[in-house]
Amino acid sequence: MTVARFPEAAALQELFGEQVLSMRTGSDEHLYLVTGGPDIRGIVEHLRRDHGARIVTVFAEDRRSEDGAFFNYYVFEQFGNPQYLILCAPVHPENPEFPSLSAEIPAVNWQEREMQDWFGLKAVGHPNPRRVAMHDNWPDVHPLLKDFPLRTPLPRFEGERHIYRPAMGEGVLQVPVGPVHAGIIEPGHFSFAVAGEPILYLQLRMFYTHKGTEKLFENLPVHKAVFLAESISGDSSFSHGTAFCQAIERASDIDVPRSALLTRTIFLELERIYNHVADIGAIATDVGFVVANAHASRLREMLFTLNEHLSGSRLLRGVVCVGGVRRAWQSGQQNMLRNAVDAFESEFDDLVALIYSSDSTRDRLEHTGILRPEKAKDLGIVGVGGRASGIDLDVRRDHPYAAYDQFAFRVPVYQAGDVWHRMQVRIDEVKESVGILKSATEQNLYGTHCAVPRPIPPDRCAISSVEGWRGEIIHWVRTGPGNRLERCKVKDPSLNNWPALVEAVQGNIIADFPVINKSFNLSYSGTDR
Amino acid sequence: MNVIFPALAQLLLFLIISPLVTGVIRTMKARFQTRRGPRVWQPYLDLHKLLRKGMIIPDTASWLFSVTPYVVFLTAAMVSLMIPMVATEAPLSLFGGVLAVVYLLALGRFFLALGGLDTGSSFGGLGSSREMTISAIAEPAMMVAIFTVAIAANSTNLSEVAKSAVGQSWRFLAPSQMLAFGALFIVLIAETGRIPVDNPATHLELTMIHEAMILEYSGPYLALIEWGASLKQLVLITLLVNTFFPFGLSSDWHSPGIAIGLGFYLIKVLIICCLIVLVETTNAKMRLFRVPELLAVAFILGALALISTFLF
Repeated sequence: MTVARFPEAAALQELFGEQVLSMRTGSDEHLYLVTGGPDIRGIVEHLRRDHGARIVTVFAEDRRSEDGAFFNYYVFEQFGNPQYLILCAPVHPENPEFPSLSAEIPAVNWQEREMQDWFGLKAVGHPNPRRVAMHDNWPDVHPLLKDFPLRTPLPRFEGERHIYRPAMGEGVLQVPVGPVHAGIIEPGHFSFAVAGEPILYLQLRMFYTHKGTEKLFENLPVHKAVFLAESISGDSSFSHGTAFCQAIERASDIDVPRSALLTRTIFLELERIYNHVADIGAIATDVGFVVANAHASRLREMLFTLNEHLSGSRLLRGVVCVGGVRRAWQSGQQNMLRNAVDAFESEFDDLVALIYSSDSTRDRLEHTGILRPEKAKDLGIVGVGGRASGIDLDVRRDHPYAAYDQFAFRVPVYQAGDVWHRMQVRIDEVKESVGILKSATEQNLYGTHCAVPRPIPPDRCAISSVEGWRGEIIHWVRTGPGNRLERCKVKDPSLNNWPALVEAVQGNIIADFPVINKSFNLSYSGTDR
Repeated sequence: MNVIFPALAQLLLFLIISPLVTGVIRTMKARFQTRRGPRVWQPYLDLHKLLRKGMIIPDTASWLFSVTPYVVFLTAAMVSLMIPMVATEAPLSLFGGVLAVVYLLALGRFFLALGGLDTGSSFGGLGSSREMTISAIAEPAMMVAIFTVAIAANSTNLSEVAKSAVGQSWRFLAPSQMLAFGALFIVLIAETGRIPVDNPATHLELTMIHEAMILEYSGPYLALIEWGASLKQLVLITLLVNTFFPFGLSSDWHSPGIAIGLGFYLIKVLIICCLIVLVETTNAKMRLFRVPELLAVAFILGALALISTFLF
């Protein structure tokens, strides 16, 4: 792999003059580039075009009382470079506007609108500047402003409701689905425009369960914030917990003991496989091949039981903590893990063989819900959905964390982008994860499980990323005084990926929507936060 | 001859056995999926529960919504009197025999589709349009297959068909009969809303056919529709077993052979149930637009059967 590098500050200053103020390496060893103003379009274009940089996430912070301005952060990564580059662009409170990038980079569409909703900053030139995160019932307030107290009673909203694009034409029908769905899933509104069975277009409305998580993080003691991070998305609680703890550890230079890093790797992989197995079963159910799901559920239960025996929690909650993990390995547990992984491996092979042997299942899944690689690239799709459409990203390989640098694994990438290949990516990843788990159990897992706690220095920033089973999870923190948080930005992979669903269903028949949706299996809670 | 007793007995048997057949299929499916599954008599408990419950009728519903459950249930009950069950003689013989059977079932389906459309819900509309698409092909396939059997018996009266088949127990081995059986079996799968045509166990409204039409129904109306669907299922299974495999059919309702006839009948129904379960567990549901292809296969099988009656 060629070692890519971000440009030096001097080179950028030559190109962009006073717009580039300074560049420094932060305590998290990533690059922070401070610009003179909010208009960073030239720099972004330069980074993307000449340095192959991908925009990871965009977010804002209210620094009016400290620095007299808002800051917009643009996080970039390069293929083959473990360092992130974070552009910090000040936005003056007297002119709270910043130029929108959404027209060129559709991937930041929702994130820029979140900045509008939460900070009152205006994304100038945004193609669709309507509210996204703050729902119709919210009055015109911006809750992430520091002078907005957490417990503010709000009046009832009486204004105009969200208007969906009407479906027009002869024989064209609008089919509203949700926000309340059959089965035990979370709320989201899908408005289909259909001509008979084929779907013309789909409009999404998320954020029905917006919980103000990023606001709740503010001033929260760090040890409590770990639990909040775990509850961002229930099926990724260990990944989100780890991402948060890593960020705090990087901000405060805590060295995590070797044993804890290995333990985190093991639990991250266990979380990945229990979710992937469940998804494989669920995809089979949605095409009516219930036998496969029966076996997948059995395997998932095996993993839940294993999780409980190893960590005390079936869903791996309350395991990770700042500085390591909460429990040391007890005698016999390593053997139990090894045996369980071996048993799982052969059972999983049987499950895969069962699915491969069903032609009717394959017939349903192939060429269904195609997300073309170009579209996936434009929309900035990450994770399973991205890898099935040619997006070769995996945080475990690209920005190694925990103990991933010690293990060899393959990142499966396909170009076809249909439901079958999204399932194939999951199958391949489970096999790779089993490989990682097997070599992890060869190592000595015993040892110190957690670093000695110490006070966390204030006003430090750090970015941390974790490849959750859905994809790239980003946490960015700024610490505050008294072991508390100043700001925590959370980006769940689902936030990027919902628009992919809109693309993938077009031209498919409405009866295939559930299986297409399931093949992405995005988190409502993680998106809404 | 007393006609009241056979009619009452057959109707009662149909009403009692039909939920059990649904339950048996569900339990067997569960076992195939390594689940324990509900008890076989769960459908009775469901019906009992639904019949005691209150109903929610949508504000947009017209009289059609309320008439539909009765039409669905009564057409299925009436058809159940028109086919031979344990005796070759069906209690009720109306204009055209098998034609009446097919069209009474079609009447029930027509009203069910209207009921789905009536409330104006988008899911109901989807379900009705899909059901009509499918039945438009399933119906001719069923007709052609049944005509094959009728030609062999020289009558469209189902009692006559059964009687003639009793005379020649191995007739089902004839190519025309086997082809017709294949066609009717596919129609049975489609008409009873089973995998690969429809998934009776799904919770996903967007993929439903039969279930989508009855989403708005609740309480006793839902009970009538569910019971009607079970009846229709048993009617179709009975039609299948008694026209092709008339073993053990009693000659009339008064002879002692009736008990043996009932035993044979139950075994035959159970075998068909096993076949259905086998098809359901080994297949995924077809993509909706492939369903007409499957039914076209049924139609072609039926047409070949019809042709081969004249050839052999």
